[in-house]
Amino acid sequence: MTLDLELMLDLYKDMWLIRAFEQGLEREFKKGNVPGMLHIGLGQEATQAALAAHLQKTDCFFPDHRCHGLNALAQEKHAGSGERIMAELFGKATGVSGGKGGSLHSANPAVGNFGDNAVEGSFMVTVLGVALAWQMRKEPKVACCVIGDGTVGRGEFHESLNMAAIWKLPVFYACVNNGYAISTPVGQAHASADIVDLARGYGLPCVQVDGNDIEHAYEETRKAVEYIRAGNGPYFLEFKTWRWQGVFSGEFRPPDEVKYWKEEHDAIAMARQKVLGDGRATAVDLDTIEAEVKAEIEKWIAFAMNGPMPDPAKATADVYVGWEIDKR
Amino acid sequence: MTATTAKGRTRTYVQALTEALDIAMGKDASVFLLGEDIGKMGGDFGVTRGLFDKYGAERVRDTPLSEAAIVGACVGAAMVGMRPVAEIMFADFLGECYDQLVNNAAKMHYMFDGQFKASIVVRTACGGGFGGGPHHSQSVEGWFLNVPGLVIVAPATPADAKGLLLSAIENDNPVLFLEHKALYRLKGDVPEGYYSTPLRKAAVAREGKDVTIVAAMKMTHEALAAAEALAAEGIEAEVIDLRTIRPYDAEMVLESVRKTGRAVVATEAPKMGGLAAELSATISEECFRDLKSPVTRVAGLDTPIPFSLVLEKYILPGKDEIVKGVKQVLA
Repeated sequence: MTLDLELMLDLYKDMWLIRAFEQGLEREFKKGNVPGMLHIGLGQEATQAALAAHLQKTDCFFPDHRCHGLNALAQEKHAGSGERIMAELFGKATGVSGGKGGSLHSANPAVGNFGDNAVEGSFMVTVLGVALAWQMRKEPKVACCVIGDGTVGRGEFHESLNMAAIWKLPVFYACVNNGYAISTPVGQAHASADIVDLARGYGLPCVQVDGNDIEHAYEETRKAVEYIRAGNGPYFLEFKTWRWQGVFSGEFRPPDEVKYWKEEHDAIAMARQKVLGDGRATAVDLDTIEAEVKAEIEKWIAFAMNGPMPDPAKATADVYVGWEIDKR
Repeated sequence: MTATTAKGRTRTYVQALTEALDIAMGKDASVFLLGEDIGKMGGDFGVTRGLFDKYGAERVRDTPLSEAAIVGACVGAAMVGMRPVAEIMFADFLGECYDQLVNNAAKMHYMFDGQFKASIVVRTACGGGFGGGPHHSQSVEGWFLNVPGLVIVAPATPADAKGLLLSAIENDNPVLFLEHKALYRLKGDVPEGYYSTPLRKAAVAREGKDVTIVAAMKMTHEALAAAEALAAEGIEAEVIDLRTIRPYDAEMVLESVRKTGRAVVATEAPKMGGLAAELSATISEECFRDLKSPVTRVAGLDTPIPFSLVLEKYILPGKDEIVKGVKQVLA
């Protein structure tokens, strides 16, 4: 499959935006500028770029904990303010959740980002309600949840697939199978290392995708979103991918595996090879895209660093809608 | 004992709840019901009876045995502007959807900086006294007291059941709506048509000057029975029915205790770490100088709920225990 050049270069840029975002973020985290915990999504760029390409701002997605890149991309694409995702990670008032959510709870419904729930799998049942409401109101929208392979162990996975299937809800399950739940290999944790095998019993379409092949991921995501939007019910995509080493990324990976995923099957390197091999773009074109994106991310980091901290009095705001609680 | 003054008709607590759901669904297309066997069957206790025929399978929706998905679906629907009402058959099953209530519904408005509202109501049947055994009898308010963002409503009368349920559905916060099973057949005056009873407002169920008894749900009736018995001995007990347990009406409780100088708090749940402990601590902190004797807690014993009625009666508190508690603070 070959996507046209303009689209391919857009996706290349999107993937670099995700990678540069995560690399810049990890650098600042190690310097102590980012509080709390951090779950980096490096290596999963193609999957997130494909999702961002097809989900509209009037759809929704529940991002998982490694979706900073997807959050930033949606925020940039639909609101022109990707830097507000960075600011949220720094705990700033200028963040999308006003500094109350952080890495694990960055939300902005205006761009379709319905926020992560840091209890993995929890939003798998929440997404049902969004889909149900849209179905009842006859709004042709797609309610997506981005889950990892580890989430499959949760009861909510099964409650969700079952309910979406019996009611034909417009739910898009985007399962990012990166091979490990922190340190536990997928084949050790689940009855099948192929998640589609576990999902298939619920009777919805289940398709496995090379999550590092942007063209494949883009095309299969397009099919899924079209199927759901047409009112056919839920759809399950399993993106096979792999996350790089990084903070909270697990203890040990076999050297051959590391070599394969980082050197031979890296999403960005593969996309680069594809357009260069076709002779459709030059190395200079691609290097320019990369350099521009990296410079942009540095501006986002500066925006986050220099942004104001939240007013401490805001700590007691919005516990209840319409009711005040005691202040210190 | 209701604060509602409109002319009433006699209805059961269950009928009052059904009327509230019917009125809310008639008024607002965004209100819909989710739960196990709530459709044609009308729910385990008949609260949704007739609503399936009137509003259809889409708005009175039977679900699989998936409590997490029931409450999760409510939260998600609320995120896009709906006002869902879930029925969890027994409060004991709330463990299955605890995460959705505690980590999702209760925190959503806060952690996303006010961008979403979890405007849901989760109705559930709680309480013991009928041989339901360890998993169909518990009083669960203590499980949820320590959860900022959550509202806990617990009506004691048919009139309040209707008015509070209508308020709960209209409110933008997540409400856990506790219905004590022993009250379902209780009859009382229930005004016709629409009315709402304010959340966070307790009610004086009986006025008195010698001692304040604070209670909710079935214990309100036990407290009233105790007050009647005490009156025969010349002791005038004031009974406060909390109606909303979280956030509760501290103002009314403290005002009453300042007047009487004595307080008994009565809950069916075990004493440790529960509503009785919270009320006792707040009264002691705020009214220490007005108190003529220490606050007494009347509560369930620190056990699971046993099946055999003899055993259950032994561990659950009632009128007699409240009378004893009152005499203790008067001694």
